[in-house]
Amino acid sequence: MADQALQDTTKPDGPALTRAEIRRRRRYENPWFNPKLFWGAGILLGIVFVGLVGRVLWDPDLVFTGAGVLRLPPLGFENLRGQAGVLNHPLGTDGAGRDMLALLIIGAPNSLYVGVLASLIGMSLGIVLGFSAGFIGGRTDDVIRVLSDVMITIPPLLILVVFQAAFGDVNLTMMALLIAAFVWQSPTRLIRAQVLSMREAGYVQMARLSGASTGHIMFREMLPNLVPYLFGSFIANVTTAIVTAVGLEVLGLGPQRIPTLGRTIYEAINSGALIQNLWWWWGLPTALLALMFIGLLLINLGLDEVSNPRLRRL
Amino acid sequence: MKHSTALLVTTALVGVVAAGSASAQNRADTVIFDLDRTISDPENFNWFTAGTKREHGAHQAMWEPLFILNYTTGELEPWLGTAFEPNGDFSEWTLSIRDGVEWSDGEAFNADDVVFTVNMVLENEQLSEREAATLRAQVAAAEKVDDLTVRFTLNEPNPRFAVENFGVRIFGSFLIMPQHIWEGEDPATFAFYPPIGTGPYTFASSATNRAIWDRNDDWWGAQTGFMDLPEPERLVWLETGGEESRAQLIAANEIDAAQNVSVGTLEAILQRNPAVIAWHGDYPYAWPDPCARQLEINTTVAPWDDPNMRRAVAHIIDRNQIVNVAYEGTTVPSQTMFAQYGSMAPFIDAITEAGFALSPEGDVEAGQALIEAAGWVMGDDGIYERDGQDLTVAIHVNSASTEYTRTIDVLVEQFNRAGIAARSVPVENGVFWGEVLPFGAYEMSYSWLSCGSVNEPWTSMNRYTTDSVVPVGERSPGFNNTARWDDASAEAYTEIVHRMRDLAPDDPALPGLVAEAYQHLDAGVPFIPLVQAAKLLPFNTTYWTGWPTAENAYNSPAFWWNHTHQIIHSLERAQ
Amino acid sequence: MARIPAAYLVNRLITLVLTVLIASTLIWIIPRLSPVDPADIMLGRMSAAGGTVADSEAILATLQERFGLNDPLWAQYLLYLRNVLLFDFGLSTASFPTPVSVLIANALPWTIGLMLISVVITFIIGNVLGALMVWDHSPKLVRVAIPAAMVFTSIPPILSGLLLIWLFAATLQWFPIAGSYGLLVEPGWSWEFVGSVIHHGFLPALSIVVVTFGFWALGMRGLMITVQGEDYTKLAEAKGLRPRYILYRYMIRNAILPQITAFALKVGLLIAGQVLVERIFAYNGMGKLLYDAILNQDFPVIQGVSYVIILMTALSVFLVDLIYPFVDPRIRHGRA
Repeated sequence: MADQALQDTTKPDGPALTRAEIRRRRRYENPWFNPKLFWGAGILLGIVFVGLVGRVLWDPDLVFTGAGVLRLPPLGFENLRGQAGVLNHPLGTDGAGRDMLALLIIGAPNSLYVGVLASLIGMSLGIVLGFSAGFIGGRTDDVIRVLSDVMITIPPLLILVVFQAAFGDVNLTMMALLIAAFVWQSPTRLIRAQVLSMREAGYVQMARLSGASTGHIMFREMLPNLVPYLFGSFIANVTTAIVTAVGLEVLGLGPQRIPTLGRTIYEAINSGALIQNLWWWWGLPTALLALMFIGLLLINLGLDEVSNPRLRRL
Repeated sequence: MKHSTALLVTTALVGVVAAGSASAQNRADTVIFDLDRTISDPENFNWFTAGTKREHGAHQAMWEPLFILNYTTGELEPWLGTAFEPNGDFSEWTLSIRDGVEWSDGEAFNADDVVFTVNMVLENEQLSEREAATLRAQVAAAEKVDDLTVRFTLNEPNPRFAVENFGVRIFGSFLIMPQHIWEGEDPATFAFYPPIGTGPYTFASSATNRAIWDRNDDWWGAQTGFMDLPEPERLVWLETGGEESRAQLIAANEIDAAQNVSVGTLEAILQRNPAVIAWHGDYPYAWPDPCARQLEINTTVAPWDDPNMRRAVAHIIDRNQIVNVAYEGTTVPSQTMFAQYGSMAPFIDAITEAGFALSPEGDVEAGQALIEAAGWVMGDDGIYERDGQDLTVAIHVNSASTEYTRTIDVLVEQFNRAGIAARSVPVENGVFWGEVLPFGAYEMSYSWLSCGSVNEPWTSMNRYTTDSVVPVGERSPGFNNTARWDDASAEAYTEIVHRMRDLAPDDPALPGLVAEAYQHLDAGVPFIPLVQAAKLLPFNTTYWTGWPTAENAYNSPAFWWNHTHQIIHSLERAQ
Repeated sequence: MARIPAAYLVNRLITLVLTVLIASTLIWIIPRLSPVDPADIMLGRMSAAGGTVADSEAILATLQERFGLNDPLWAQYLLYLRNVLLFDFGLSTASFPTPVSVLIANALPWTIGLMLISVVITFIIGNVLGALMVWDHSPKLVRVAIPAAMVFTSIPPILSGLLLIWLFAATLQWFPIAGSYGLLVEPGWSWEFVGSVIHHGFLPALSIVVVTFGFWALGMRGLMITVQGEDYTKLAEAKGLRPRYILYRYMIRNAILPQITAFALKVGLLIAGQVLVERIFAYNGMGKLLYDAILNQDFPVIQGVSYVIILMTALSVFLVDLIYPFVDPRIRHGRA
C-alpha cells in the first residue's frame, strides 16, 4: 500500500508540486499516513520500547521495597529534607525506597498489557458474536442484540470491585480476562450493524451467488472491509480496559507485588505523597498514563480519518 | 466581554475561597483534638461494651481515673484516689478516695460508687471491654469500709493490682460509674446518655464525626483546691479522616493535636507551620509507645513448628533495614521483647548480660545454615526446596496502616532474598484482630502481642505461658500466646514466669528470673521482636502551649489515653 | 412533539429490567463462586461483634430468616431479588448493626449532587465553547486554544483530580484536601454550611469538568458546522440579524438537541469515574463509602453500593432513551 502511494506521487501529473504538497497529497492518497495515527502509534510504541529496553539497561530489581534511599527527588530537584536527586535514581524513589524509573519501566507495559489483552479477547468475542448476529439473524440476533444493549450500560468497574473483593489478590492476566467480559459489546454492535448493511452489498451478493460458504463470506470478503472500524473499536476498548484496571488499582484491588501505574498511585495517595509534595511519586505515573491515553486518542482520531474520508482535509 | 468574564470568574473564585475560611469565633478558647475513628454510636456512653465510647473525650475530659502512671518516673500518681495499699502478700488492697469529689450533677463521688461499679462488672459477663474483663478475673469481692475507703479481696495475690486496673498503664483504666444513675439499669444495654462524670468538662454534643465538651466552672477540683480549673473553655474531638487531611488541618491551625503521621508528613507540616512541635524537637521526632513490634509465628504449622526453622528466620531479619525503610529512622531496633523505657532497663540489662540480646543486623548465612540443616536445598530459582516443595510463608498483616504493611514488605524482601518464598497477606483491621490472630489462622503475622510491661517484666512475659495455649480454631484468651507455643521450652519458661508472678516490681530477685526465663524464650522463638514502636504526634503551639515533650515529659503524649486529664490541665494560652 | 410509541417504550423497559436483573444476579453469584463465602464471614463477624450490641441475637436471627440462609440456593436467590427491589441489602459488617440502606441513603445525595453540578457545568461550558469554535465572530484565542484542550478528553478524571488536589489543595491551599463540608460546620440551611459545601465540592467537580467538557465541545463543533451550512442560518445572515442573535436563536438552539443523546453512552463511564474522584477527595459520597467498604471487607456495603450505582446508570440511560425521540425527530421509535 505504501509503495503504491509513493508511485502515485511520482506520476508526472503536475511539475509544480512542492515537497509539502507532495507530502499532503500522499497523505490524502493513503489515509493510513496521517500525523495523528503516526504520533499516537509513536507514543505507544515508545512506551513499549522503553519498557523492553529499560529491562535490559536498568535493574528491574529496583522495583522492590528498600532498593534505595526513601523519597529521593528526580535528578536536578530537591525534596523537603533538602536531599538532591542522584544519578542512581534519576527519577527519584518512592516512600519505600523503590526506584521510580524501574517502577515506570515495569509498570507502564503492565498497564498496556492488561489493556491490550482485555481488548483483544473482547474483540474476538465481539467479532464472533457480531457476525453471528448479523449473518444468522432471527432469534440469535435478538439475544445477542439485547444482551449487548444490556451489558453496555453496566460499568465494568463495579462488577469487578465485587469480584476482586470476594476473590482477593488477582494477577494481571486474570484482571485482563475479567475486564474482557465487559468490552465485547461495542465491537459486537458495530460489526452487527456493518454486517447488516454489507449483506446486501454487491460483492457479498456476488460471493454468495458464486456459491462461497458462509465462513468464506464472513471472514474473506467482509472482514477486510471492517478492519478500520474494528481497529477503532479495539483502541477505544484498550482505553476503557486501562481506565478500569487503573480504577481497580487505585481502589487497592489490583495485583499486589506486581508493579503497575495504578498501584503506584494508590500507594502514593495512601502515604500522603500529595501533602508531602512528593510530586514525582504520583505525578510520573499519572503523566505516563495521561500520555498513554493521549496516544490512544490520537490513534483513534487518526483511524476516524481512515474510515471517514470527509474528515480528511487537503 | 472578555474583561467582564474574567472579572466574573475571579469574583466567583474569591467568594468560594472566602466561604470556606469562616471559622468559629471562640477558636482561641477551644482545644481541638484529632480522632482517628468514626463514632459509630454517638449517643451511647456505656464504656463497658465495645465501640468508640471513651477516646472521643469521654475519658480524657469527663471521666477521671483513680490513679495515673507516670511514664517518666514509673510512679503511680494519685487522682480520684489518694492511696492504694496492699497487705503483706498482695491478696488484699485498700483504696482511699479523695475527699470532696463530686459528679457534675452535684452528687458526691464515694465508696458506694466504686463498690457498685465493681460489683456490676463482677456480675455481668457481657461487660466485655478489656478493663472490665481484667478486673472480673482478678477480684473476688469489693467492700465498703467507710465513705472514702474500699477493700478489694483478690482471687490470687497480685503485686500489680493497682497499676493494672486503676492506673492508666496503657490507654485506659477501670472507670467508676455513678451509682445513682446506673442503678436499676441493665448494664449490658444501658446507653448512659447524656453521660456525666467527675471531670472538669461536661458533655455538650456528639455526632458520628465529633464530640464536644464544655468546661464546668463549678468543678469540684477547683473548689477543693485539688487543681485549678483548666484554661481551655471547650474541648472538641474531631474525626479528621486520613493523614493528609489532618496534616492540612494542623498546618492551617484548625486542630491543635493530630494523630500519628509519617515523618515525611511531619516535615511538610513543619515547613508550613513552624508552631507545630512533636515529642522530640528534631529527628527522630517520635515518642516510643509501649507496644514493641514483633513477628508472631504459629508454632503449630509445618515447617515452622520446628524451633530451628523459627530461629533461622530470626537470624535472617535485618532490623536496621526495618528501622530505615518502614520507620524512616524514627525508632530503634528492639534488643529484647520489652519496651526500652528507663524503668525497664534492669530487666533488659539482665537479658543482655545473659547473652540473649538481639542483633540489629541480620545474619543470613547463619539462618541459611539452619534451614539447610533441616533438609532444605536451595533451588535454581533461589528458593529452598524439600521433597519438591518450595519453602513458603504467608505473613498476615493488618492493612490499617502503611507502617504495618511496609514493615512486612521489607521482611518479605529479606526472606525472598534468603531463599524463603514469603508473601504478604494484608487483611482488614477487624478480620486481623477478630479472626486471624485469636484463632491462629496464620503462619506468621505482624503484631505487638508481647505489649504490656511498662515498669515491670511480668505482664509481657506472662502472655506467652502455656496457660493460654488453645488449639488452632479456638480463641486465644486475651490474645495471649496466639503462637500456641507449648513445647518443653515453653513448659520450663512457664514455670519460671509463674514464680515471678508474686514478686513486687522492685524485688531484687526479678532480673535474674527474667534472664533465666528468657533463655527458654530464646530456644523456643514463638515470636521475634523487631523494632520499638514509634508514634509521631504533632501538637500545635499557636493557641496552646504546655504539650508533653521529651524536655517537658510530665507524661506520655498519647492524647487518646485516660491520662490526657494531665495534658489538659497543663495547657496554657499561647501569648 | 412525537408521542412515544408503546413498542419502543416496552423495548426500552425490557432492557432496563434486564440490566438490573443481570447486574444484581452477577453481584449475587460472584461471591458464591469464591472459595470463602462472604456470607459466612459476614455472619461470623456479626456474631463476633454481636456480643457487644444490644439484642444482637435477635438481630442475627432476623437476618438468617431475611436472607433465608437455611433455604436452598434458588430460594435464597429469589429472596435476594425481592430484597434488592426493596433496597434491603442487610446490615453493614463494619458498622454493625447499621443497615446498608441507611449508609447509602446518607452518601447518595452527595454523589447525585456532585454529579448533577458537574454535568450541568460541563454541558454549559462544553457546548458554549464548541459553538464558539465554529462561530465566525469568536476571538481568535478561543478557536485555537480549545482544540488543544480537547486532548484532555481522553484522560480519566482521577488523573486530573490528582493534579488539582496537589496544585490547589496541597500546595496553594486554596481548597480543602478532603471531605464534603467543613468539619466544624453544623449541617443545615445556613450560609456557612452552603459555602462550605461549595468550597469542598469545587475541586472534585472541576476535575470532572476539565476532562469531560471537551467531549461536548467536540460534538457541538460538529453539529454547529452542519447547522452553519443550513439554509435558515444563511437566510438569517442575509437578513442582517445581529450575529449574537443568530448564534443563539438559529445555531445553538438547533445544534444542541442531538447533544443530549450522546449523553446516554457516557453515563456509565461518568459515574464510575466519579466514584474514583470521590475516593481521592475523600468526598462523603458513594465512592468513599465503596472505598471504605473495600478496606473493611464490608461485603454487604460493597454489594449495595455497586447495585445502586448500576441502577443509577441504567435509569439514566433509560431516561435519555426516552428523551431521545423528542429531541431528534429523525429517529423513529419503532426500530431501536
